Amino acid sequence: MRMITIVAVVALLFLSQKVLAGDDPAKDPTSINVHVLGPEKLGGLPTVPVPPGNPQTTAKILLGKQLYFDTRLSKDNTVSCATCHDPAKGWSDAGPTSAGIKGQRGGRRAPPVSNAAYLPLQFWDGRAPSLEEQAKGPIQNPIEMGNTHDAMLRTVSDIPGYLEEFKAVFGTGPMTVDQVALAIAAFERTVVTTDSPFDRYVRGSKDALTDQETWGLEIFNGKGHCTACHWGGNFTDGRFHNIGVKPTDPAKPDLGRFEITKDPNDKGAFKTPTVRDASLRAPYLHDGSESSLESLVEFYNRGGDTDDPKLDPLIVPLALSTAEKSALVAFMKRAMVSLNPEVAKVRPIPPSALPK
Amino acid sequence: MKKVLSTFVLSLLLWSLFPSTGTAIPAFARKYGFNCNMCHAGFTKLNDFGQRYRDNGYQIPGQQGGEKTVFDQGPPLALRTSAGLSMYKQDTRTTNSFGIFGLDLLAAGVFHKDVSFLLIYTPRVDEPAGDFNGPGTGNNPAQLGGIESANIVFSNIVENALNLRVGRFEPAYHPFSSKRKYTLFEPYEVYAFATPTNSFVFDDNQMGVEVTGHLAGGFKYASGLVNGNGANPDNNNAKDIYLNATQTFGKGDGQTAGQRVGLFGYYGWQPVDLATSLPSPTGETSGTNNQPFYRTGIDGSFSYESLNLGVLFMTGTDNKQLNTLDSTKDYMFTGGFAELNWAGFMNDRIIVSLLYNWVRPPSYDASRKIDAYTAMVRYYLGDWSAVNVGLHAEYTFRRTGESPKVDEHLVAFVVDFAF
Repeated sequence: MRMITIVAVVALLFLSQKVLAGDDPAKDPTSINVHVLGPEKLGGLPTVPVPPGNPQTTAKILLGKQLYFDTRLSKDNTVSCATCHDPAKGWSDAGPTSAGIKGQRGGRRAPPVSNAAYLPLQFWDGRAPSLEEQAKGPIQNPIEMGNTHDAMLRTVSDIPGYLEEFKAVFGTGPMTVDQVALAIAAFERTVVTTDSPFDRYVRGSKDALTDQETWGLEIFNGKGHCTACHWGGNFTDGRFHNIGVKPTDPAKPDLGRFEITKDPNDKGAFKTPTVRDASLRAPYLHDGSESSLESLVEFYNRGGDTDDPKLDPLIVPLALSTAEKSALVAFMKRAMVSLNPEVAKVRPIPPSALPK
Repeated sequence: MKKVLSTFVLSLLLWSLFPSTGTAIPAFARKYGFNCNMCHAGFTKLNDFGQRYRDNGYQIPGQQGGEKTVFDQGPPLALRTSAGLSMYKQDTRTTNSFGIFGLDLLAAGVFHKDVSFLLIYTPRVDEPAGDFNGPGTGNNPAQLGGIESANIVFSNIVENALNLRVGRFEPAYHPFSSKRKYTLFEPYEVYAFATPTNSFVFDDNQMGVEVTGHLAGGFKYASGLVNGNGANPDNNNAKDIYLNATQTFGKGDGQTAGQRVGLFGYYGWQPVDLATSLPSPTGETSGTNNQPFYRTGIDGSFSYESLNLGVLFMTGTDNKQLNTLDSTKDYMFTGGFAELNWAGFMNDRIIVSLLYNWVRPPSYDASRKIDAYTAMVRYYLGDWSAVNVGLHAEYTFRRTGESPKVDEHLVAFVVDFAF
């Protein structure tokens, strides 16, 4: 009895310390943003969050749009943001991974720009804490735009039309890479894919979804376990998961989030993408290894393709029937596609219409 | 005062019925907006995700810290009840009755990262027939009032590997949960089997502490220290101990995915000489001449597509001093069950279950030999964001004893309702 008492007291002391201590402060401030995100119910998208340091203005958004579609930001004038984040391809690309200057291919495909404004961390591995930071990255990535920030600024500041616009938006003074990033991010915050059949359905139009799509939604939120990660208005938790994607090169696997955090639990973990407009941007997964929504559902149905010890505990075989898989695909194929005309009609700005 | 109280209770009920979403849903599903089958392969059986969620202290694995606490959500209350018609036949005698076959009031949620709780209160449910005398425990055959579960969980003391549950809980030595099985009327007979004198029943929830954990490679363990006599304060000073270890092969947790095998053992003591006084203000007594008993068994859960086969074999031994039928021998019995479940049709709307139970007591207690065969089908209505209505039909043929044999038939049609 005395032994039991001693064990109980020690256990309670230990536990009270654990409770009173609260959450361990994360070393990386960017990871705090992610880990305080709690599961939210599926629903419509909220108002786009705008950082105080980069308020939205019409002129800035237009400038950002021009820069977004301008290949002159790249070293050889062949690649723009839109090359890999193409509005016609769901704000991603044809894949399987993205091609930069001289046809070079990276190991990952372009994450969609649409609704990226809602994400606390950018890139598949979350290495950028904002759209502004993200926008700077590809310009100087040797296999994406292959440029340097200084060279890009020299190019852009030699274009009188841009000089005039930068002056109007940011005032006098030398053009900076931060200003370029602010403008591009401001444009990207307008790329919000709302008003899908799903949005109309949750607003009360029960005939916005077909019967099969309604089944699909039920499975998405139930047996399919999709909402365990794809939750909230943007259908993503913004977190990082190892879902069992088999590495293309087992000798040099892409370690994903681990490359940033060095936390062994993050090995092979990649950010959860939004499901909105997913059918517009096949192939799927960070490496484009699943060619269609059908094969993507099969991938999840078998519980991923690896026995990685770091496989996320949320990934389990689902035992979906053929009809259940078809319903799930039907839901994602049409019901999640935005009908928002402002976004749907975005077209690339042709070079002839860019500032001269 | 009574008016204030009744207003408060009414407000609480209305609040729980009409949360902010305008939909009445069970506590966990309401919190997330999930469909019930996120965690259940057709409620109430947990699927692999649900099992991991429970093991993680009612937090989505990997998302602890981001979970809404009970202070940030609607009231974490839920209710489950089943009502319908049961028909019973024993030899030539038959009965049939409408009834309420159970009522659970549940509250559960997260207080703080890795600190959560579960409370299940089962109120007394009387049969409508006032002249009916219940089986041995008074005059209530349907349900006695009581706290089925009241526990607090400290999760991830060591990440995934050490969780602690304190209070009254369903012990982890149940490889298959008797609280979350599909059949409503037929129990796992070997769980419910009571031996002479011994107040331990395998099926009971227990009071005490339990540690559980997931280790690498699909290995899980659970161990606990409990009173050993269910809901009651202990009747001796010796605590019972148990251990359960399972290994899952393949992906999943051995619920509806992956192949799971396990071992379990329970070792306890019961007093032969019960204390005649009440030494403690909290109810326990200091029975003496404690004699040991144990239960050991193996189990397996095997899944293929939408089929799951669960099997369990158990042996039980009570020390001969607890054996009032033959005090020269230990009381030894074996038993088990095999359960084949199919869950399917659009988000597992249909469940079909076949269950075979057997118990083999010693020859001098042959009148309690059991063979029971059960078939069950359920259909769940609608996707009502975690309001769950199951239409449930169940049939059991149960044969007890050897000579004479007693044959029983039970058929029930029930609406099983949870919100």
